[in-house]
Amino acid sequence: MSYKKTYKESCKNISKISLALIVMVILGGCSSSASVQVDRTFPKVLGEPKSVTASIVFLEDFSTFVAQPNENTVIDIGTAQVEVLQNAFAGLFNDVEFVTSRDQITNTKGLVITPSVREVQVSTPSDNYLNVFEVWIKYNLEIQSVDGDPIDSWFMPAYGKTPDTFMYSKPKAIEEAAVIALRDAGAKLMLDFYRIPAIYGWMMERQILEGSQ
Amino acid sequence: MSGFTTSNVYRIIVTGSLLALLGACSATTTIDEYRPSGEPIELNADERVVVLGRRDAGHYETDREFIDCVAKQMKGADIGILPEAQFIDSIYPWFEPRTAPKGLPRLKKLMRTPSIKTVVDNQSVRYLVWLDGSTETLDKGGSISCAIGPGGGGCFGFAQWNKLSVYEAIVWDLQDLQEMGRLRVDSEGTSYLIGAVAPIPLLTPVKSDACSSLGKQLKTFFSAS
Repeated sequence: MSYKKTYKESCKNISKISLALIVMVILGGCSSSASVQVDRTFPKVLGEPKSVTASIVFLEDFSTFVAQPNENTVIDIGTAQVEVLQNAFAGLFNDVEFVTSRDQITNTKGLVITPSVREVQVSTPSDNYLNVFEVWIKYNLEIQSVDGDPIDSWFMPAYGKTPDTFMYSKPKAIEEAAVIALRDAGAKLMLDFYRIPAIYGWMMERQILEGSQ
Repeated sequence: MSGFTTSNVYRIIVTGSLLALLGACSATTTIDEYRPSGEPIELNADERVVVLGRRDAGHYETDREFIDCVAKQMKGADIGILPEAQFIDSIYPWFEPRTAPKGLPRLKKLMRTPSIKTVVDNQSVRYLVWLDGSTETLDKGGSISCAIGPGGGGCFGFAQWNKLSVYEAIVWDLQDLQEMGRLRVDSEGTSYLIGAVAPIPLLTPVKSDACSSLGKQLKTFFSAS
């Protein structure tokens, strides 16, 4: 009799636990918050670096940057964006050094570039009524000469989206879109950096000066 | 006496209806092809093809699953296929959505860059197949509802939807820097969901039909030597 009762109770308990687990899994699946750590390796760029010397300053708040585009979403892109930009700058300049503050610069000529993130935006299917997740990362590059003379402040937006939302959880989809946006940042930098009028002018001026010496 | 009892008649009707529905679950596929020459392209044993998807449109993206499917179809014909991701990573960032060449003039410009040419040559990539397109659901009709209660549950009703796959493939020669031909596949079909206590899906494989048709046709473009 007592064995039967214990057996019945344990069965009830198992049912309750299973039900609670199922409800938790369902609620977890419906969760609208996402904490994303972009943890991928990015390919080296295939570039033909120009004979320009540059010092890239990755300040601590850039290399540890964690974006919070809305109250439910957190994206840690710090390490990933440093890797992408290091690769891209190495493909742009023949002589490049990466430092964490301006006073560590050893180059005595060339450019000093300090990237920063202006804004990160995320759009989900419930926002855009499309079957995709989208991420925008808006960078700013402060470009100066090694003497501290400002050359330009260049706005560089990057964009990424998932092909669709099929089989993606929200964090996975945002990570995927962020990875594509980071790759786009590398592409944008490689494609457009030497098209910045101020950079073009600076290079022309330098060539003229070199020619006159 | 004759053997035609009421239950037999019902069975025949149900079987006939199911067969008719299953018969209706096939996609209609049309392929248009253009190539300057009727002769297949000779591929040497060390030459490879890469199948890439266009991803620059705002509202759709040629999905990786479809590209892999077409690449698999072609691989079956002893054609050396380089995986898309491997090629794109090796040549980063020149085949990203922002930078990928949309026409031959841009491709020619890219291939004049020595580092890009070297990577393409080192991987023995001779031909590039661009795939562009998507699969969309066009019309939906009917309704189906499912309910569950203490005595059991079930689904009742009937739903149907039409799907259309439109894909275009363009073949570029990376050596001679010219277009070798293009293909367009249109595949359309209707799928059904019947709720007769249990939901019975009768799905038309529109996308896979488009993939196999396109893959088979692309195979005829190449002949492995």
